[in-house]
Amino acid sequence: MPVEIVKERYSSKVGTITLGATKEQGGTRTHTVTVGGDSTLPFLHFEGEVPNPPVVAIEICDRVPEWNPSLLEHYRDVVGDPAAWAQKAVEYGADLIFLRLSSADPELGDSSPEKCADTVKKVLGAVGVPLIVVGSGVDDKDNIVLPAVAEAAAGENLLMGIAEQDNYKTLTAACMVHKHNIIALSPIDINICKQLNILINEMNMPLDRIVIDPSVGALGYGIEYTYSIMERIRLGALQGDRMLAMPVICGIGYEAWRAKEANAPVSDFPGWGDQKDRSILWEAVTASGFIQAGGHIIIMRHPEAVKLVKNNIKQLMAK
Amino acid sequence: MNRRTVRFMPDNRVVQVPEGMDLHRAAAAAGLELKSVCGGEGTCGRCAVKILEGKPEVGGGNLSPRAKKQGLVLACRTLVTDDLVVEIPADSRLADHQLADGSTGRVLAENTYDRLAEFGLSPLCRKVKVKLPEPSVTENGSDLSRLLLGLKEQGVEGDITISLDALRALPETLRQGSWDATVTLAEISCRETGPRLEIVRVEAGHSEAPPYGLAIDIGTTSNVVHLVDMSTGTVLERRGTYNRQAMYGDDVITRIIHATEEKGGLNDLRKAVVETLNGLIESALLARDLDQEEIVAAVVAGNTTMAHLFLGLWPGYIRLEPYIPAATSFPVIRAAEAGLQINPVAPVLTLPAVASYVGGDIVSGMLAIDVEEHEEVTLFIDIGTNGEMVLGNKDWMITCSCSMGPCFEGGGITFGMRAVPGAIQRLEIEPGTYEVKVTTIGGARPRGIAGTGLIDALAKLRSVGIIDRAGAFHRVPNRRWRTGAEGPEFVLVWAEDTEQGNQDIVISESDVKNLLRAKGAAYAAIRTMLQTMELPPEAISRVFIAGAFGSYLNLRDSIEIGLLPDLPPERYSFIGNSSVKGSRLALMSRVARDKAETLAHQMTNLELSEGNTFMEEFVSALFLPHTDLSLFPSVAAVPSPDANAAGAAGTAAASNEAAVGAGEAQSQAQTQVNNENEGQHS
Repeated sequence: MPVEIVKERYSSKVGTITLGATKEQGGTRTHTVTVGGDSTLPFLHFEGEVPNPPVVAIEICDRVPEWNPSLLEHYRDVVGDPAAWAQKAVEYGADLIFLRLSSADPELGDSSPEKCADTVKKVLGAVGVPLIVVGSGVDDKDNIVLPAVAEAAAGENLLMGIAEQDNYKTLTAACMVHKHNIIALSPIDINICKQLNILINEMNMPLDRIVIDPSVGALGYGIEYTYSIMERIRLGALQGDRMLAMPVICGIGYEAWRAKEANAPVSDFPGWGDQKDRSILWEAVTASGFIQAGGHIIIMRHPEAVKLVKNNIKQLMAK
Repeated sequence: MNRRTVRFMPDNRVVQVPEGMDLHRAAAAAGLELKSVCGGEGTCGRCAVKILEGKPEVGGGNLSPRAKKQGLVLACRTLVTDDLVVEIPADSRLADHQLADGSTGRVLAENTYDRLAEFGLSPLCRKVKVKLPEPSVTENGSDLSRLLLGLKEQGVEGDITISLDALRALPETLRQGSWDATVTLAEISCRETGPRLEIVRVEAGHSEAPPYGLAIDIGTTSNVVHLVDMSTGTVLERRGTYNRQAMYGDDVITRIIHATEEKGGLNDLRKAVVETLNGLIESALLARDLDQEEIVAAVVAGNTTMAHLFLGLWPGYIRLEPYIPAATSFPVIRAAEAGLQINPVAPVLTLPAVASYVGGDIVSGMLAIDVEEHEEVTLFIDIGTNGEMVLGNKDWMITCSCSMGPCFEGGGITFGMRAVPGAIQRLEIEPGTYEVKVTTIGGARPRGIAGTGLIDALAKLRSVGIIDRAGAFHRVPNRRWRTGAEGPEFVLVWAEDTEQGNQDIVISESDVKNLLRAKGAAYAAIRTMLQTMELPPEAISRVFIAGAFGSYLNLRDSIEIGLLPDLPPERYSFIGNSSVKGSRLALMSRVARDKAETLAHQMTNLELSEGNTFMEEFVSALFLPHTDLSLFPSVAAVPSPDANAAGAAGTAAASNEAAVGAGEAQSQAQTQVNNENEGQHS
């Protein structure tokens, strides 16, 4: 007797978003990247459509970051030169470049808006993949840097961040005028997530140009909190809540590499095994967890971890 | 007793008072409330007045040398021994208290439906005239048996007892009236044995005066007394003032703490409320020239804590989990036991409560409306320091109480104040220029903002784009927008236009956040009740809003900020002080008295702190109007001010004009506005 598979029917699906723009579309990218569009829970291919695989963005930075040497050694020749670093990242398999303009931080170089805009242009010139650009995290400074970047990269259809509940208007306006997309960050809180999307949308920003950043935690550092919030976001989207029907971005690299387990030398914890292997696994496992939870754009750092995760995505997408 | 005339200036109100009464009480009798913290002990120095004519007996008391030099005396220490003309300086006056019914400038029309006709007239006390046979050697029964026989002849059925006071006076009274007497009978209900009759008063001769009773509402903030003609149910006098318990704390919790942790605390609170009520009663009696003896019944409604404090019951466990009151049904007591200065044996009925935080005031409110008669679902809301609500129909009723904080009564808000003259109750903000037009209660110069004004402010700040849906301030290019000590703020009234004249009236970001929490709590409570019954908001066919607060409520704004469910306006009505209305019905009708007991048992109390979705609902409601916009379709349909503001802000820059559509050209202007201003906003 054949087993009948019980299928949930959902009234709606996750929106799609396309990043980057080719020459014909007014930009300079060699191709664009589309994510989202899922009409079921993550990877339940038997039940609904998962038209676009999750993608990996490799994180680069416009200054020499204080990263663990075991990570930084993979970018030894290119740190300090964002354009070269971006090329390296593409070699390592990046679907997208995630550029953090850290040097704009008044305490980390205080780069001018013009200089930051110039950096973005150089990275755009060096690679053909679409770009994600975020500020230094200092709101006042980002509010002058990001509009300049948005203008300089007009037409490139960037994904820009970070909009938060207490600081979203400047970036939203800049993204609208110069036709970019926006990352809306909420602190592991479904209500604030919705509210921020409403606030941004109320400024006339179309919903299909917003990406949700639900705030992630690394394995062992609250991964389960974000996991359940992402589950609720996905269920909301599938049940027709337009304010939750956006693709989700997860900043894995930053979180995984903050974990003690990724950095502690083997001499401190002989039972934990080699730090190099351990850190790669920590990042890869964290990333895999969030892909299972419904993450669409995964930001990562270590090339080996990226390799593992891309392989994992391939397996998950096989029907 | 000699009566003297006192004229109070500048109001030019005249009152006749017995000689020897102090001026503080005389002023109250004239309907003028003086400030007082000490309760007439002569120690607080707040009730200073000036004698313009006449010679009173002036006592001492604590008055500043400067005030003495100005010729002021303390009203509470000054006795009326002569006809007087007295001036009350503005400083000594407690702003006229707005009675919960009898106010002006309403937005919602008051629903004046009176259920007395439906319930039928069977008052707590009635008078029966009897004609008794004179006793003789053969007719030698006692005076009492003679009286009881007389009552039977008048058709009075059942067991009749007599109060000791009435009995003591009986022999002389009967003989004074040459065996004609008027008997006041109280009907005291008892679940087990049915109604029991008691003779509370016997008058010599045949009296045409009706029996008088009191309908009393003991609110946490204000107390209201209605003097009722019990032969018809007509309300003769309405009096209201602040509950003097306020000196021990503004909310029930701090008062419970005072009652249970201070030595003699419970008695302090009991005395404070009884004195407040006695002041109101005295003033009402003076106005009608009635004697205390003639007031033969009272019905009291209050929240559970107020009922406990009025009766002197230990309130300690109301505050502590699992929130257990001493009782929810209260014994009928005598006025003398309660300390009320009316006929000492008058029965005093305290309406039953549902639970610790849903009290007799709500049960009383339910008497005034007719939820239990209808198939359709009714929502009843009483918004005060606590928001209490009932949802139900003829088959079921659930009720809950949520703490809203004091902000709709003016507490916790920089310029918040109670709904008294000078409080801003409505305001308009002109888009673009941000000019503000305010309307105050009584048309006085603005002194602060009332709860209804705050709701208006929230809606208007939002609609012109000064705050966003999360309540965050966004800088607008106007001098009314500024950064104060507590962060961003918006000036509603410039100092020179205020009553005080020394400070701008502002609303700050933290005020807005406080209001968001209060309105969020109210809406979350409504939603939690609806969800418990698995009903959508549209299922509510009628909404009754009770309380002084409701009288000025702007319905549209209340929906716009998400305080009240998004229902068509015709489903809403305002019922004024439903608590005192219900008390009157209980005073006037046996059906209502019995119904109060039944209703209290029928209502299921939903404890919001236990095992339901309240917290989640609360967080979702901390947004204007709500995180789930589909709950507020009529609000969501209105275009966003952010989009409009961008359009009004100026012309688009030229850089990529060709590339962008009209909507985006608007937002370009927005970018410029933000770039200029948001540098200071973090």
